[in-house]
Amino acid sequence: MAQGQHHIIPIRTLAIVFGLLLFLTLATVITAQIDLGLVNVPLALAIAGSKAILVALVFMALKYDNKVNLLVLVLGVVFAVVFLALTLADTELRGTIGITEPGTTELTVEPAESE
Amino acid sequence: MSSTGTTLKHYFVNHDQQFDAAKLGMWLFLVTEILLFSGMFVAYAVYRSWHPEVFVQASELLDWRLGALNTVVLLASSFTVALSIHFIQKGENDKVVVLLLMTLLCAAIFMVVKYFEYSGKFSHGVFPGAGFEPHGIIDGKDYSTYDIPFAPQFFSIYFVMTGIHGVHVLVGMGVFVWLVTRVARGHFSPQWYTPVELTGLYWHLVDIIWIFLFPLLYLI
Amino acid sequence: MSEGSHNYLSARKGLWSWLATTDHKRIGILYAMACGTFFLLGGILATFVRTELGTPGETILDQDGYNQIFTLHGVVMVFLVIIPAIPGILGNFVLPIQIGAKDVAFPRLNLASWYLFMAGALMAVFGWLFVGNVDTGWTFYTPYSSGASNAVLWLTSAVFVAGFASIFTGLNFIVTVHKMRAPGMTWNRLPLFVWAIYATGIVQVLATPVIGITMVLLFLEKLMQIGIFDPALGGDPVLFQHFFWFYSHPAVYIMILPAMGIISDLMGTFSRQQVSGYTFIALSSVAIAFLGFLVWGHHMFVAGQSALSSIIFSMLTFLIGIPTGIKVFNWVATMYKGSVWLRTPMIYALMFLFLFSIGGLTGIMVGVLAVDVHLHDTYFVVAHFHYVMMGGALIGLIGGLHYWWPKITGRMYNETAGVIAAILVFIGFNVTFFPQFFLGSRGMPRRYHDYTELLPNFPEFAPLNLVSTIGSYILAVGLLMILVYALYSLFKGPKAPANPWGACTLEWTHTGRLPDEHNFHETPLVTRGPYDFRLADDVFGPKEED
Repeated sequence: MAQGQHHIIPIRTLAIVFGLLLFLTLATVITAQIDLGLVNVPLALAIAGSKAILVALVFMALKYDNKVNLLVLVLGVVFAVVFLALTLADTELRGTIGITEPGTTELTVEPAESE
Repeated sequence: MSSTGTTLKHYFVNHDQQFDAAKLGMWLFLVTEILLFSGMFVAYAVYRSWHPEVFVQASELLDWRLGALNTVVLLASSFTVALSIHFIQKGENDKVVVLLLMTLLCAAIFMVVKYFEYSGKFSHGVFPGAGFEPHGIIDGKDYSTYDIPFAPQFFSIYFVMTGIHGVHVLVGMGVFVWLVTRVARGHFSPQWYTPVELTGLYWHLVDIIWIFLFPLLYLI
Repeated sequence: MSEGSHNYLSARKGLWSWLATTDHKRIGILYAMACGTFFLLGGILATFVRTELGTPGETILDQDGYNQIFTLHGVVMVFLVIIPAIPGILGNFVLPIQIGAKDVAFPRLNLASWYLFMAGALMAVFGWLFVGNVDTGWTFYTPYSSGASNAVLWLTSAVFVAGFASIFTGLNFIVTVHKMRAPGMTWNRLPLFVWAIYATGIVQVLATPVIGITMVLLFLEKLMQIGIFDPALGGDPVLFQHFFWFYSHPAVYIMILPAMGIISDLMGTFSRQQVSGYTFIALSSVAIAFLGFLVWGHHMFVAGQSALSSIIFSMLTFLIGIPTGIKVFNWVATMYKGSVWLRTPMIYALMFLFLFSIGGLTGIMVGVLAVDVHLHDTYFVVAHFHYVMMGGALIGLIGGLHYWWPKITGRMYNETAGVIAAILVFIGFNVTFFPQFFLGSRGMPRRYHDYTELLPNFPEFAPLNLVSTIGSYILAVGLLMILVYALYSLFKGPKAPANPWGACTLEWTHTGRLPDEHNFHETPLVTRGPYDFRLADDVFGPKEED
């Protein structure tokens, strides 16, 4: 610690990032009111992603830290995306199998007697 | 109670190793939180992709202004937390106490806003799951017109996601209370402030989760 | 190196010194006692299953009873034995010493892990004893599980709690390996057991939270009918399966990777030479850990999953065979021109090679989409996973326990008893499970309490099941025999020397008969690789003859 290995982030940097985060929040609120068709969702996600990256790199100091910590975060995000992507590969491509209106199926299996 | 807390555990060689190990451990824990929330994001994505118009319509019942307020409040709390790290690294503990109290205040505001959101929903019959029976008219919206198929899924996901997030906020608040008392008692110094660092990291993740929740649930 | 005065067993006394310990070695022993008990329970349940199926008609269980018994067998074996055992017992005991550390990075978290594990286990037992029996299968598929008895609530909570034990253990080991290696212990000099536990930790940290959220959502589905997984409410039951298997497939790599690590160490020590392809084996552990996340849909080929995603999952499944095959070939190559020393641990290592190869190859078979359409939910799958989980992971655990037994207990077990029990286990295991490949490929479904109605068209089901049941009794005898001579050795076994196997890794070369409480007096300086036997006889003296 006293060895000076711990990088102290200047207040100015933190304030600039906070300002950027507020600006991006404003941007996402405004762009959500405008109908951009298919662009709306990716845009909102991109803005959210940018805000998250700012918080992670600066507020959480990953930019100045041991790279292993950044690798850990990246891997976590990658596998969350794998979960999402391969699940959607199923749910998006099933056609009409399995989409049921509520009330059109009944639980016909009797639960087992407990004890 | 140790004053400057130069407690070097016997299985570590020096403070740097101990601090680095603690940080890596915390990052691994944060990744488990990301994977925990990812399940709910997957559920959201799947049901949204199957019923996009229902999700767009149901989200009209969520007040984006309150959501935006909560977003700003949490971002501010992340700012105060980052500043508190800055000042603890410089040993200016009194500033740290103020900043951590401000963080607590922001968290409390967040929870109060959530309380009003939830109670507003409940009073109009918007419950997760089986109790979903929207009724009443507010802000020109007739809630009973939102009683459509798959709207319950939207609100179940909304309540589960924001509920679990809210639990994490509450836990964070508890930890900050503990932390503030320790800072005020002079337990930390530039040589040792690991608990402050780790709590800060946790709080930033709570903020990041909300950064995604806000647009997905309230805006799009 | 102190002899009896200050080793980790004698350093502190009394029950509280065990229940409040932060010593990784004692925590390993706590896990051993817990997992051993649960294995006994799971084994008794298995005996009930096999006894029921040995002859057609109801033997000792009715339909509901049978469903409850196999469910509990699965839950206990998967969550309370095979997932926690090797990391909890041998990872805890051996890993810190193997890297030259005095403990893991977070010893108190390590103890908390054990308590979380016990809390989860006790919740499951409590639910079973006082609330009701779950008969959904260990896979808890919805909508049956979200509509069935309230006992499901207890089991889902139990799995949630026990999952944290797994997460914290993996987290602890990852940080320990990254930050606490002794000077000279580079990544290239790590024992392959450490590489394996490290890779397992990655899986534990990334995968387990998803079963956590799955259990939360199932709990809420039951409690509040949130409608995510129940089709009657507009939910999707296949989505539950995605959530469940996203964890449960990587979970099988949590089970097998540590066992593979044990085999690597055994192959090196008992061939007395460098493990062939060290770098390949090390990196293949990490590769398996990552690839394991890409294949979960192969459990869902006939669940209603889209055809394209089934094809993708099938092709990705084949990929895992590559790093696995790399390991198997390297282990065999390690023995080539080595000085193979056939002691009980090595017998188990060889057994692993044979049984795991069968299990792994049959895994590839069911990974073939077109084949699995016929074999899904048959006994072929049951045989496959018992070959890998029991013939692989459990045999690896038993081999590892025999290997490190002298270091943990300071005693040697009786070698003749070890060999006899190993033979019984091998014969019993194969007689139990090999016929199940035939049963499955001929169409016998799994999770059926009675196959009487199938006999007119499939008369072979009766003798095949009977043979399988007889095999299970032989297997039980072999396993019980291990328990007996192991316990005997604790009290009457001869005291072991510090390095009975003449191995090269730090836990053998730098500790006494029993390790000290803090493992090392001084931090070791590592100058050689983990299987560097070239100077062995100079350093260790000629290996023990008996």
